[in-house]
Amino acid sequence: MSKQAAKQANSSKPDAARRAFLKGLGLAGAGAAAAPAWGGETFLDALGDLFQKHYQQMTPEEVQEALERIERRAQRQLGVDINCKATPPQAGVVFGYAINISKCKGYRDCVTACVKENNLGRDSQVEYIRVLEMEQGTMDLEHSEHYYAPEEVPQEGKYYLPVQCMQCDDPPCVKACPVEATWMEQDGIVVVDYDWCIGCRYCMTACPYWARHFNWTEPEVPPEEINPDTHYLGNRPRSKGVVEKCHFCIHRTREGRLPACLEACPTGARVFGNLLDPDSDIRYVLENKTVFRLKEELGTEPKFWYYTDG
Amino acid sequence: MAIKALVPWMALPRSSRVMLLIVLLAGAQWAGAQEADSVAQSPMPAVVPRAEPLKFAPCEQCHQFLQTNSEVRTLMAPHVRELAHGDGRIWCLNCHGGENHAGLVTLLGEAASFEDGHEVCGGCHARRYRDWRFGAHGKRADSWQGERTVYGCTHCHDPHNPALAPRAPEPPPPVRKGLDRPEPQRESRQPAWAGGGAESAP
Repeated sequence: MSKQAAKQANSSKPDAARRAFLKGLGLAGAGAAAAPAWGGETFLDALGDLFQKHYQQMTPEEVQEALERIERRAQRQLGVDINCKATPPQAGVVFGYAINISKCKGYRDCVTACVKENNLGRDSQVEYIRVLEMEQGTMDLEHSEHYYAPEEVPQEGKYYLPVQCMQCDDPPCVKACPVEATWMEQDGIVVVDYDWCIGCRYCMTACPYWARHFNWTEPEVPPEEINPDTHYLGNRPRSKGVVEKCHFCIHRTREGRLPACLEACPTGARVFGNLLDPDSDIRYVLENKTVFRLKEELGTEPKFWYYTDG
Repeated sequence: MAIKALVPWMALPRSSRVMLLIVLLAGAQWAGAQEADSVAQSPMPAVVPRAEPLKFAPCEQCHQFLQTNSEVRTLMAPHVRELAHGDGRIWCLNCHGGENHAGLVTLLGEAASFEDGHEVCGGCHARRYRDWRFGAHGKRADSWQGERTVYGCTHCHDPHNPALAPRAPEPPPPVRKGLDRPEPQRESRQPAWAGGGAESAP
């Protein structure tokens, strides 16, 4: 019914609009078995989504059902076979990250790799990593530039500072969330349950690192470019209206693999490992290099360090 | 305080003072050796094999008939003509063993295969070598846990021209539809040590 027709119906016959509405409701009920009435879901899956609990309160069977629903939805809506998993954290592991800013040249290969790996919307301005172009000799984040696009990097007199989620050990974003849709896992990764997030964006305001991003539009990824290796708390397909962030490639790192940004870095500036293992690469960096953390004075205890050669 | 501390030192007979000095120096030497040992005794990471086979190896194809000429000169193709590595301080035979055509030679004169290039590089770049060996330089392959597997030096660096060349960056982040890209705040910010403070003082 067009707007004008509806207006007319409203003014002339008070109950016409109500009748049309009731008719529509009846049709929707009748078409329950057909797909489109439930937003591209089957009736049972829509019901399952509606009654889905918070990730931390689900039984293993319920998690399994949720994962299967996610896989079916991807198949129906995107036509892609994905494998969604809920790999638990490994015992005795807390992840840490370090970046050598003497080595970072600002190529942004990490950003591109991250977008592909994590099924980020290609046009939605959501990028987990921002590489800041900084004046040499300054630490002034306010005057950094992350839209830089010269013909060649590194530029004279600049250095490059990649910023992403610092996986704080005392995360302000978690405290800000009114519905507990975000929390820190045992291995130190701060995760989001996209089905529990209400999109209020309080966490984005609380984060001092601009690490959280809101999906203002439905993230659009060409079906052939979708990474089928997904995790419930990580890179599974998201919808419009939820907040997301870097999760240290949870689907890779919990299985022992390295984050996609590290794998893509052509200069070897990125170091990742287990903070609890005294023989790990990250521990060598922390114990033998001069390291610093961004905005350390805020007391959020980031598990993300920067260091330089020398 | 320092003078007081020196009094027992001065009170010692000359021979004892010399002895004590020797002991102290030996201690320092020993500490340095301990650090070197910690590098030597740590498990050597597995190194990812070369991706591309060498183009002209084995060198014997030509060199079994040629005399080794150790005179520093410009070489013919297929050898590298311009050696950007070391700004003229080193020459081919510092790394390519003269008589040992099958491989490389370290600074100490030990033979090393082309797969062990890092041992040759480490001869001069000792601190980089240490960082590479423990994970602060270079790149790990495959996994963050278990036995370390790392990329060797020549995986990223051309040994004849080791600096990585500048290149174009990947595209900047997109700007959401309907919005303009924010103008960068470009007021000049001088480093703290770049003066200004001294001149403004009367």
